[in-house]
Amino acid sequence: MKHERIAIIDGIRTPIAKSGGLLKNLQAETLGAHVVQELALRVGIDYDRYDEIIIGNVSQPVHAANIARVIGLKAGFGPSIPAYTVHRNCASGMESITTATDKILSGQGEIYMCGGVESMSNIPLIFSPALTGIFEGLFKSRSVSEKLKNISHLRPEFLKPIIGLMQGLTDPTNGLMMGSTAEILAQDFGISREAQDIYASMSHNKAQAAQVAGIFAQEITPIVYDALRGKVMMDDDGIRYDQSPDKLGKLKPFFDRKNGTVTAGNSSQVSDAAAAVVIMSENKAKELGLEPLGYLSSYAYAGLDPSRMGLGPVYSTAKIFKKTGLTLKDMELIEMNEAFAVQILANLKAFESASYAQQHLNQSIAVGSIDESILNIHGGSVALGHPVGMTGTRLVIHLLKALRQQNKNRGLATLCIGGGQGASMILEVS
Amino acid sequence: MKTHNFTLTIEDRIATLVFDIPDSKVNILNHQSMEELNSHLDALKKNTEIKVLRFVSAKKDIFIAGADITEIRSLDDCDTAYDVVRHGQIILEKIAYLPFPTIAVIDGACLGGGFELALRCTYRIATENKATKIGLPEVNLGVIPGFGGTQTLQKLIGPSKALELILGAKYINGAKALKLGMVDACVPQGYLDFKLAAFTQSILNPIEQAGILKKRYQPTLVERFTPWVITMVAYKTVMEKTKGHYPAPLAVIEIFKKTNGMDSTRALEFEARMFAQMAVTPESKNLISVYFALEAVKNEKALVSKEALLPVKFTSVIGGGAMGGGIVWLFAKMDLLVRLYARSFDKAAQTLQHVAQSFEFLKKRRRLNAREVDMKLSLISYGTDLSFFGHSDLAIEAIVEDMATKKQTFKELEAVMRDDAIIATNTSSLSINLLSSDMQHPERFIGMHFFNPVEQMPLVEIIPSKDTKPEVIATIVGLARKAGKTPIVVNDCPGFLVNRILLPYINECAKMLHQGEGVERIDTLIETFGMPMGPFVLADTVGLDVGYKVASVLHQGYGERMEVSTLLDRAYNELHLLGKKAKRGFYIHDGKNKTLNPDIQALQLGKVHLSDEEILDRAMLVMVNEAAYCLQEGIVKNAQYLDVAMIMGTGFPPFRGGLLKYADTYGLEKILHALLRLRDKYGMRFEPAPLLQELAHTGSTFYKGIK
Repeated sequence: MKHERIAIIDGIRTPIAKSGGLLKNLQAETLGAHVVQELALRVGIDYDRYDEIIIGNVSQPVHAANIARVIGLKAGFGPSIPAYTVHRNCASGMESITTATDKILSGQGEIYMCGGVESMSNIPLIFSPALTGIFEGLFKSRSVSEKLKNISHLRPEFLKPIIGLMQGLTDPTNGLMMGSTAEILAQDFGISREAQDIYASMSHNKAQAAQVAGIFAQEITPIVYDALRGKVMMDDDGIRYDQSPDKLGKLKPFFDRKNGTVTAGNSSQVSDAAAAVVIMSENKAKELGLEPLGYLSSYAYAGLDPSRMGLGPVYSTAKIFKKTGLTLKDMELIEMNEAFAVQILANLKAFESASYAQQHLNQSIAVGSIDESILNIHGGSVALGHPVGMTGTRLVIHLLKALRQQNKNRGLATLCIGGGQGASMILEVS
Repeated sequence: MKTHNFTLTIEDRIATLVFDIPDSKVNILNHQSMEELNSHLDALKKNTEIKVLRFVSAKKDIFIAGADITEIRSLDDCDTAYDVVRHGQIILEKIAYLPFPTIAVIDGACLGGGFELALRCTYRIATENKATKIGLPEVNLGVIPGFGGTQTLQKLIGPSKALELILGAKYINGAKALKLGMVDACVPQGYLDFKLAAFTQSILNPIEQAGILKKRYQPTLVERFTPWVITMVAYKTVMEKTKGHYPAPLAVIEIFKKTNGMDSTRALEFEARMFAQMAVTPESKNLISVYFALEAVKNEKALVSKEALLPVKFTSVIGGGAMGGGIVWLFAKMDLLVRLYARSFDKAAQTLQHVAQSFEFLKKRRRLNAREVDMKLSLISYGTDLSFFGHSDLAIEAIVEDMATKKQTFKELEAVMRDDAIIATNTSSLSINLLSSDMQHPERFIGMHFFNPVEQMPLVEIIPSKDTKPEVIATIVGLARKAGKTPIVVNDCPGFLVNRILLPYINECAKMLHQGEGVERIDTLIETFGMPMGPFVLADTVGLDVGYKVASVLHQGYGERMEVSTLLDRAYNELHLLGKKAKRGFYIHDGKNKTLNPDIQALQLGKVHLSDEEILDRAMLVMVNEAAYCLQEGIVKNAQYLDVAMIMGTGFPPFRGGLLKYADTYGLEKILHALLRLRDKYGMRFEPAPLLQELAHTGSTFYKGIK
C-alpha cells in the first residue's frame, strides 16, 4: 500500500456520554445507526453504491449479533448492502477502517461505511455458573417435586452476578485487569501517582479548552437520547472543568488498593458513543469529485506481552516507521489513546529509550522522542471517555480535523490494545 | 365462457365447493350466486357419498366480500326487503342442515354475508394471510347482518364479543379470530394445502373432533345470569358515540335483547324484519352513497402508468411544528427515511417528542410493538442544515404561512435537491401558482395539504399548480394513499376546497353570535345536526389565530362574500383570544371542562333568538352555496368527491351522505328560495351560486349523473 492511499471522505461521531448516563437507554446499534445515517446523508453518495458496512464493536450485545448488519438496516441501507462486525478490542474502530482498506486495495470493493460503536452502559450482568445450572435444571424438570429439588440447591452466594464489564476488561490469559497492567507499567518505569495525576489533569484542561473553542462540536452530531421527553445531547459530558492534580489526588487507587497508583481519575472513563467514517480509494474520490477529509497512508498492528499491553503503541509505531521509512520528525501531530495516564507516560519513556528498543524491538536506536506539545493536543480518553469499540474511529476523525485546523499535513494515530497489541496509522490531509 | 359461480368436486368422498364468480376479482353474494348456491345445497343434501364438504374461494385474497351492495341500495320497500333477506337466511341455513360436516376455508376477506355463510358451516379454518379479515361490518352501511349473523355469531362466540364485533364493524385477522373463537384454526397461508387436509381428517376422527369442539365458547357468568347488562352497556356506549344519529347499531342491540331465549326461526324472522326496516332508512341510503363515493375516490385511475411514478424512498420535512411533526411521524410509520430540518437541535428534539408520543399511542393500542417503533424512529434523522437534502426524493415544507419565507425556502431547496425531486408545500391557504412562480422547476412543485392532527385526519388535499407534471400529481396521490389517507385532487384557489367551504360556515356562525345568538345554542344545534363538534368548539380547537388567518385570506380572495365577521376580528385582534391552546377562546377551557367566555358576550350587539331553522340554514346553506361555486369553477371533480372531502376533512355527518347529498335531499329548489330569503335579510353573501340556480331551475340535483 505504499503508493495507493485510502481517502477518508468524512467522519462524525455522537457526543461521548459517561456510562450509565444520558445515553444509557440507547443500545449500541441505535447509536451506530444514528451516526451511519447522518454520515451517509452528509457524504451524499447513494446508499446503494456502498459495497459494505464494517463496524467495530467490543462488547457485542447478545440481542444484536453482528451489530454491523443491524446498524446498516436501521440506518436505512437496503437489505442488499452486506455488513459485518470486526473485533480487535480497543482498536476495533480502527480495524473497521483497515479491514475495508485491505478490501479496497485488493479490488473487492470501492466504497465502505466504517465505524466503531460501544454502549458500555449496556454490558450485562451475568448469572454465576452455579445459578445457571439451577435454571437449566428447572427448565428440564417435569414435576413440581423435581422443581423443588432443584431449587433446594440454591445458595445465597449463587446470586452474586458476574459483572460483564469487569470481565471484559480482564485478560483471560493472565487474569489481569487492564488497570493492573497499568500498575505494572508504573512499576517498570517508576512513574509516580503525582505524575499520573498531573497528566490526567492536563488532559481535562486541554479538552475543556477544546470544547469551549467548539473543536469537538465540529466532529459531533447531536443525538436525541430521550425522544419521549424531547431531550437532546449536544456535547461530551466526561470533561471535568477546572480539573487539578489536587482534586485527583483525593481519589483512592482502584486496582491495587494498598500500594497502587492508578485511580478512576487518571484512567480513561467508561463511556457510550459511536463514530463513523466513509472510505474509498484516492482515485475513486477523485472520480466522484469528493474532497476527502484526509488519507490513510499506512497502518500497522503489532503484538507484545499482554501484561504490558499499554506499550502497544511503541511496537506498532516502530513497525510502521520501518515499513514507511518515516520517523517521528515527520509527524506533525500525534493522537495516542489515553487508556491510562501512566500508560501514556510509560510510552513516552519507552519511545525515547534506546535500551528498550534494543531489548524489545530488535532495533539498535530508540523509536524517537515524542514532542509533548504535539501529543493529544485536545486531551484524550481520560477526559472524554473511552467507549472501547468506538475510540479508534474517533482518533482518526479527530486527528484529521485537528491537522486541518492547524494547517498541518501528517500525523500519527496510535492506541494500545487489551490482550497485548498496538495499532498505528499514518494519516495525511493532502 | 364460464357462466356458473360454483364448481363442485368430490375426491375420496371429500367434497369441495369452489366459489368463483366469472370475470370478477371478488366473490359476492348476489341474487344469482345465492340461487345457484341454493340448488347446489338442495342436491348436496341427497348425496350420501360425501363425508365432508369444504367451501373454498378461487379468488386471491378474498373468500366472500359480502352481499351485493347495489342490491341493498335498490331495496326501497320494507316488505320486499324482508322477503329478500328472509330467503337468503333460509338458503344459508340449509348448510347447517346438510347430513355431513362442512368447513369454510377462509383465505382472504370474509365479510358480511360471506362470514354469515361461514358461520353456517360446522367448522372454519382461516389463514395468517394479511388480506384475511373477518367481520360483520353491515352497520357501516346503515343496515345490520341479515343472513342470520346476529344469531349464529352470538352462538359461536357469545353475545358480548358478538355485539362488540358487530357494533364496531370490526375487521378481525386470522390469528385474532382464532383467539376470539370465530374460527377453529388459523394456519400460515403457505401451509394451507396440507393443514387443510390434516384438519379435514381430524374432524372425521371422533377424538380429535371432540378436542376441536371443546375449545369453543362457553357462556360467562354475566352472559348466563344477567344478559341484560350486556345490551344495556352496549346501548350506552352506542348513544355516547353516535348521539342516536345512526339507527342500525341500535337495531342490532334491539335484536340481541329481544331474541334472547327466542326459538331460532322466530329469531331469524325478527332479524330479517329489523334488516328490512334498516335497509329503507335514509341513513342507510346515505351511508351507501358515501360508501360508493369512497370507492370511486379510492379506485380512481392514476394519471400516469405505474412505471412513470417517481420513486419516493427518501423524504424530507422542513418545519417541525404540529403539522411537520405529524408528517414526519406519518412518513416514518410508512417506513420511509425522513430527514427533518429544524432551526435548532432543541427544536428537532421537540418534534421528535411529538413523533415518539404518537408512536407511543400506537404501542399502547398494540398496533405496533416496541421493536417496530424503534425501527421506525431510527428512520428519522435531523439537523439544522438544508445542504444534506441531496438524497431526498420528496421534500415537504410545513413552516410558517408566509409567502416570502416559503419562497425563500423553496429557493434554498432547489439549490441542493435533484432537479426531478418533488417539492411539496403543506400550506393551508396560499396559492400554489404564486408559491411556485419563482421556481426554476415549477413542474416538480405541488400542494399537499394535510389536516390537523395529521395522525388522525384522513383527508389530504392535493393541489397541482398550472405547471405541475402529471407524474408528480400521481406520485403524491399514490403516496397519500399508501399512507392510508384519502387524497383528493383540487384546483388552486384561495382556501382550496375544504377550508373554502368550512370557513364561511364558521364565519356565518360568528355573525349569528355577533347578532346576539348564544354560543351554546348554536353549538348544540349544530351538534344535533350531526357535526362532530359545534363551530365555536371547533374554532377553539383549531385556534383562533389559524382560523382568522385563513378567513382573511378568503376575504381577500373572494371579497364581500367572505367578509370576516366583526366578532371574530375583534376576538382575535383586540382580545387576542387563541382558543384551547391558550385556554381562552369562545369558551374558557379548564382541562375537559369549558364555560362561556364573558369577553365574547361583551362583543355581542344585543340579544336575539333565531329559529332553529334559520340557524341551521345560515350555517349549512352558506356551505352548500360555496360548494356549488367550487363545482362550477371545477375546483373538484364532482359532487361525490366534494362530499368525501367534507366528510374526511371536517367530519360532516356520513349519515347525511355528505354536504351535497344533504342538499339534494333538502331539495335544491327549497334551498334556492331559502338562500334568496336570507340574501334579502342579510346581504349578498347569500346570493345563490349560478350553478345552484341552474340546477334548481331545471329540477336537477348535484348527484345527477353519478351512479
